[in-house]
Amino acid sequence: MKTRTFLGFVAPSMAVMLLFIALPLVSVLWQSLHNTQRVFREQSVESCSPSFIGQTCVTEKRMQPVLDAEGRPVSETRFIGLESYRLLLAPELLSKAVRGVSGAFDELMRQDFYRALRFTLTFALVTLPFVLLIGLGLALGVDTLAKIWRGPMIFVSLLPYVITPVVGALSIRWLFIGDGILTAGLSALAGTKLSLFAQGWTIELLMILYRIWHIAPFAFVVFYAGLQTLDRSQIEAAVIDGATRAQRLRYVVLPHLMPLIVFVALIHLMDSYRVFEEIIGFSAQAHRISLQWLTFHYLTPDHTGNRAVSRASASAILTIIGVAILLLPLVIRTWRDRAREA
Amino acid sequence: MLRKLVIAAGLTITAAAPASAACAFQNQTPIKVLAASFAAWRAVTAAMQECGNVQVELDLQYRDKQPAALRAKPALYHIAGLAPNTLVPLLNDGSVRPLDDLVAKFGQNLQPNQLIRIDGKVMAIAMMINVQHLMYREDLLKQANVEPPKTYEELLKAAEAIRKAGLAQYPIGGTYKAGWDLATEFVNLFHGYGGQFIGQGNMPAVNGEAGRKTLEMMKALTGYMDPEFLVSDATFVQKQFQQGKIALSNLWSSRAGAMDNAAESSVVGKVTMAAAPAAMAGGKPATTVFWDGFSIARNITDAEAEAAFRVAMEGLDEEMVKANNAAAVWLVKGFETTRLAQGAIASAMAGAPPYPATTAMGFMHTALGENVADYLTGRKTLEQTLQAIEASYTTRAKEAGLLK
Amino acid sequence: MGGSHDRGLGPGLWLVTRTLLAIWFVVAAFPLFWMAAMSIRLPIDAFSSNPLRVLLGPETARLGGGGPIGFTGDHYKAVWIDNAFHRQFVNSMIVTFSVVTISVSIGALAAYGLARSKSRLAFWLLMTALIFRAMPHSVLVAGYLPVFANSREWLQPLWDMPGLGALLRLMAAEPPTLYGKPFGVIMVLVAINQPFTIWMLRSFFMNIPAELDEAAQIDGCTPFGAFWRVILPVMGPGVLTTALFSFLLAYNDYLVAALLLDAQSQTMVPTISQYVNSENNLTDQLRAIAAAVSITAPLFLLVLVFQKRIVAGLTLGAVKG
Repeated sequence: MKTRTFLGFVAPSMAVMLLFIALPLVSVLWQSLHNTQRVFREQSVESCSPSFIGQTCVTEKRMQPVLDAEGRPVSETRFIGLESYRLLLAPELLSKAVRGVSGAFDELMRQDFYRALRFTLTFALVTLPFVLLIGLGLALGVDTLAKIWRGPMIFVSLLPYVITPVVGALSIRWLFIGDGILTAGLSALAGTKLSLFAQGWTIELLMILYRIWHIAPFAFVVFYAGLQTLDRSQIEAAVIDGATRAQRLRYVVLPHLMPLIVFVALIHLMDSYRVFEEIIGFSAQAHRISLQWLTFHYLTPDHTGNRAVSRASASAILTIIGVAILLLPLVIRTWRDRAREA
Repeated sequence: MLRKLVIAAGLTITAAAPASAACAFQNQTPIKVLAASFAAWRAVTAAMQECGNVQVELDLQYRDKQPAALRAKPALYHIAGLAPNTLVPLLNDGSVRPLDDLVAKFGQNLQPNQLIRIDGKVMAIAMMINVQHLMYREDLLKQANVEPPKTYEELLKAAEAIRKAGLAQYPIGGTYKAGWDLATEFVNLFHGYGGQFIGQGNMPAVNGEAGRKTLEMMKALTGYMDPEFLVSDATFVQKQFQQGKIALSNLWSSRAGAMDNAAESSVVGKVTMAAAPAAMAGGKPATTVFWDGFSIARNITDAEAEAAFRVAMEGLDEEMVKANNAAAVWLVKGFETTRLAQGAIASAMAGAPPYPATTAMGFMHTALGENVADYLTGRKTLEQTLQAIEASYTTRAKEAGLLK
Repeated sequence: MGGSHDRGLGPGLWLVTRTLLAIWFVVAAFPLFWMAAMSIRLPIDAFSSNPLRVLLGPETARLGGGGPIGFTGDHYKAVWIDNAFHRQFVNSMIVTFSVVTISVSIGALAAYGLARSKSRLAFWLLMTALIFRAMPHSVLVAGYLPVFANSREWLQPLWDMPGLGALLRLMAAEPPTLYGKPFGVIMVLVAINQPFTIWMLRSFFMNIPAELDEAAQIDGCTPFGAFWRVILPVMGPGVLTTALFSFLLAYNDYLVAALLLDAQSQTMVPTISQYVNSENNLTDQLRAIAAAVSITAPLFLLVLVFQKRIVAGLTLGAVKG
């Protein structure tokens, strides 16, 4: 295809991505290296607020932002280099921890960024094998069902995947929080009152279970579709050769599905590295935080409107770098395939 | 495509609510309101809409978009519902206007204590106060043979007595949800112990006697709370009360009405309201007074501002208060105090301080919200927690240019 | 076809697979089923810790005076009639269908180009798209807010320009405020959705032999003509599958709509979380549950109608990639 024709085809899509993703990305990168501050001036301010009868007035020295002639705040922006990254990554502490200075590792794990990284990586890596195994198991299982059973089974299996994540997380939360029906049931089984939202590890477990419940159906449907493209004569040949079921799975089915397994694994790693809805849905922030939650937290204005834009941007860039590292295998593979084709 | 969509969007916007006789004038100027979503605002905005051409957006996360929406030219909303803390960013941006002229012209029905003055200029109008105060189960306290607590030490003793008497396993409820709620509880107690958050030159001053006492008291209180206290917000505590699971809590006065709602509550008439307990014997109630109210955007025309103010005055009239007396502790003329409002009034009269809404306090509140939970879960020691609060505050204040 | 290789599943294995499948069936359906059950009971039954009461709703039945199993439509009535939930439904539909249409149209063009080009540029565009998919949405959305809120002021110079300005004034008398209106949100969702759409459609195009469009071009078609008349018609299942995934993304979006739409254009999902988080009581929570069930119903139908095609579509394209 000629380059001009090619560009014609990709132009609309690229324009949208350029405008709504690439430009914000550039601005995020820029903001992570700069800091914009209001210009403050100490001023004596009298402010009155109501009590039930009468008012309480206080005069105090406050830092007030300077406004210009049009009544807009004056601000100045300056280049701060990697300062925001340093605040997040705490390199001195990291090097201490790496050198094994006593207590430094615990101190490091109390830092927000590392706490979030720890959870995010655990979350992504623990859910991965379960998603793949359950997906694969379901695909193989459903494939053995009689035709009339397959439809309902696929239908129900897909529900956790298509359901709105906000609703899904809430439905699980309603089952477990406080005296939710499942907590009550588990408590009755255990013979003691359980509080699943009272400690970190149970919330973490719930979040992991929720994500597996939510994503395993995606793996299932992809693998199941993959099974339908399996050349059945290969299986029959294997049967004639006297291969056991396990051997057929190991030498025929799995190799056929391997590209799909890699595909699902990568998509899943990428998405679970950005875990966010679970933290909000399960109100987990006291116990567990994730990298995207941290970004979101820095970015959300507090009640008096302050935001840590620079650190939020740095945290976003670090998240993207993290995902890029996870994606490296796929990039290399695609590159090799291309090189082979060429 | 674009044009069609813009037109479609325009159509939904101009669909105005019909004007009704309850409003003193027929409003012709389209007015948009952005406020928090709770019962009092629902009542006020419904009354505003009676004037016609009023479009209301009630959103609990209003503070996420309010500063940006009011900074725009023209501002996207005319009336901004707010509280002392959420007024700060609008003042900092200069995006709300002084209301003295409008108050003089149309504010005959306002009470003097409704006018929020900053540096002598009226910048907002308050409509209600909201304060965390003591609610307790009178019947359970009598059964356990304890007096209603006046201080936090007595509160712990009362909780112990109730537990010993087997009346409730977790007698105390607390809005200890990590983040803003938890930080507010810290702020209340810290003031009660006589602490000052911000010292000379905007330096943090939490790491001291008051800070230590506050954290220790919070930890002691959590011993009597349902173990899931870190996800427990005001609705959760309200539910615990309604289901008769707890006996004592320092809860928002806006929740008092729910205790007597027969459709949901099994403790109708049994919950008594009182001033917030003091942290130290003989001290002021350990709580801070919030108000809710509104401001008018600067980046709109004077005619729009006038219409907006008049509409807002219609929303805050006696008629509305009479119809919704139980929805809030109103500051508006016509409010009749009830049993349920006693706690808020007692707290305010006993000298509970206003919430110290400043930019610096915004950083402090966030820093508290980020770190206090770590002490309660045992992730950090008391000293580590106080240091972490100060470090988090300092980082944020430096980023914003408040500290050099 | 399917299943033939597993003929003669031994009785042991048969039992194990059937049991495991049955367990999964329950696990997958239970939370949704439970939500539906709660949504038709009064609070006193719905929040009971005795599961039988939630299932059968004895109090609801007693108060409603109905049959042995309690049923109340109050929460649905409150949501759909008193709170006019159909407005949010219409808004959701406007956003979702626009996103799907635009996303698949421009995505198909790009994917076709990328599938047929062997240039290095094409490779790097694909990789860039993948990295774009990694952007945390919260960062993107917060970045749009000030731009969208100020768009009228910022776009004004374009409208004031001679020539171009006149053209733009033909479209709209004054520059649009993007904040609060569906248009901005639609474009944002299209952009966020592009990487996945392109990758998915590309794998479908890769499976259509290039000889097909080459033949068409020899017959005198332009590249676009070949794409339009020859390739697209055989792409039905691929486009449909991709459209379904786009639909899910747009329909289920929370973050973008919550921050960038105003109340009048608000979609269903953010409205639910308003219900849940608003200063509420038990009845409000049940309304939230009824609204949640209402949101799920169209998805339910969607899967019911299209599940075979999802599998067939994936079989034809993505899984061969």
